[in-house]
Amino acid sequence: MTAHDITLHAPDDGIAEGAELLRVDDVTLRFGGVTAIEDVSFNINKGEIRAIIGPNGAGKTSMLNVINGFYHPQEGTITFRGEKRRAMKTYEAAASGIARTFQNVALFTGMSTLDNIMSGRSLKMNKSFLAQMIYFGPARDEEIEHRRKVEEIIDFLEIAHIRRQPVGKLPYGLQKRVELGRALALEPDLLLLDEPMAGMNLEEKEDMSRFIIEVNETFGTTIALIEHDMGVVMDLADRVVVLDYGKKIADGAPAEVQANQAVIDAYLGVPH
Amino acid sequence: MFYREAGQFKTNHKADQAIFPIFQDRVGLSMIVAVAFLVPMFGSDFFLNSIMIPFLIFSLAAIGLNILTGYCGQLSLGTGAFMGVGAYSCYKLVTIFPEVNILIHILLSGFFAAAVGCVFGLPSLRIKGLYLAITTLAAQFFLEWCFIRIRWLYNYNDSGAIEVPNSTLFGIGISGSQATPTARYYAVLAIVVLLTWIASNVIRGRIGRSWMMIRDMDIAAELMGIKPLNAKLSAFAMSSYYCGVAGALMVFMWLGAAEVESFNIDVSFQVLFMVIIGGLGSLIGCFMGAAFIWALPIIIRAFPGFIGLEIGAATVEHIASVVIGALIIAFLILEPHGFARLWQITKEKLRTWPFPYS
Repeated sequence: MTAHDITLHAPDDGIAEGAELLRVDDVTLRFGGVTAIEDVSFNINKGEIRAIIGPNGAGKTSMLNVINGFYHPQEGTITFRGEKRRAMKTYEAAASGIARTFQNVALFTGMSTLDNIMSGRSLKMNKSFLAQMIYFGPARDEEIEHRRKVEEIIDFLEIAHIRRQPVGKLPYGLQKRVELGRALALEPDLLLLDEPMAGMNLEEKEDMSRFIIEVNETFGTTIALIEHDMGVVMDLADRVVVLDYGKKIADGAPAEVQANQAVIDAYLGVPH
Repeated sequence: MFYREAGQFKTNHKADQAIFPIFQDRVGLSMIVAVAFLVPMFGSDFFLNSIMIPFLIFSLAAIGLNILTGYCGQLSLGTGAFMGVGAYSCYKLVTIFPEVNILIHILLSGFFAAAVGCVFGLPSLRIKGLYLAITTLAAQFFLEWCFIRIRWLYNYNDSGAIEVPNSTLFGIGISGSQATPTARYYAVLAIVVLLTWIASNVIRGRIGRSWMMIRDMDIAAELMGIKPLNAKLSAFAMSSYYCGVAGALMVFMWLGAAEVESFNIDVSFQVLFMVIIGGLGSLIGCFMGAAFIWALPIIIRAFPGFIGLEIGAATVEHIASVVIGALIIAFLILEPHGFARLWQITKEKLRTWPFPYS
């Protein structure tokens, strides 16, 4: 199957390509006395690949957690598709079209690859409890309809051979791929990837980069990713935001950020 | 050799989604169901009454607990009490609407257990694991207290027990002292087959997946759009429904009369053992676990007499306890995931036999 046969796509939200999809305004997140994120503002435009980078402990993952409603910032606002929101449950974020993957794979280990990706379709399935009890009829039709979509994802990610295997037994690289598949099954508007290439070898990184670019181009999904591999970030990202100790220190095109003195200092340190 | 799926191609998703996509599995299941319906022709009344009927009833309770613990990951020690809710509400239904058929009452009584289960499931939204088990333990003791103190539940009779009136279906007695074990067995079997089929349908659909998502990784489940409230409470409701129906069956189709001791913490533990030994997250495991925990002690107790040994009843009882304890320990060391996993491994081996690496 080529990318052209894929019927999955980001929802049509009426936002033009390149217009603002999500804006983070002056967000501050504290855990007791620790300030994880301090007064950070940036935006993500429709259709772009936006990278969030920074040294360890900079608040990148916290930032993703704020965006998808897992943490609630003490100050600041998040505007998604022109709607301002502050405290939101994670399942509401999922319903509004935000999907994500985790730094340490968070798959449903007791379920097969197929069921894991099917689980991403949960929000789109709505047959009643009664229909599910009988199964034959509406519930089965719905199941098959979504199975088709899931098979598209399985083909796209080249994981057909592990369809029936429990994901707990899969090698790490494949687990990461299944997790991407599960997020894609939501057909999200905005896909948050938390270190999609951590712990991968060069070949796996190249595969993953290819998938990310294809998702962005063929599905039309906007992507925000955290990544430590600068080569990958510079190649993939349209724009990069740099965090250090919870503060934003740079924002712009990869080349600009690369030349920014504050960024170089944050990564390499400054002489005392 | 005979268990091969070679040549059984699936050309559409419908065929591939079937519960038993392999032809031999379908044949095997049909045979088991057929045998189950033929059992009364061969089995004695003792066999039906002391082994088969309670085995089926406990299997149903184990399915109930497995839905909650095995599929949704919420540990519960309140099974016995939820069974009691089913039994007492069935008794009240029979008292209030004596003209309605008993089978309908039994199926309805599960809904009362489901409602109570939902209430005691609410803490699961905040509490996890062993701590949740303790709150369900509170449910067990609270409900036991209710079964004693709320005299309305047993119609203010002095014994404090509930007794089963005679009732019929198509003119044949199916519960009470007039009913034959065969009639009761068929009533129980019909309900168990129906509810097992429903459980397997729910488990493989969206709701079953949402339970397993909560079990495996609740944070990720929420990020997929699952509301923990809906998933956990639906698991508590369905689990308690099954336990409630099992409790009603226990009194009305097996014991004939019951009091609060029939639903004490021992029953909760017994069902939990069935689920653990059978295999968490497996329906067939529920039946295997129930067979092991319920039928094995009876067989072991009968064994000395069978080979002609003269041992006192008390000694046999003690020996049985020791043997069963040792068997449970040995089994859990050899296969911690229960009979269901053992069954699965056997099938995997059979598929490739005699070429282990093909």
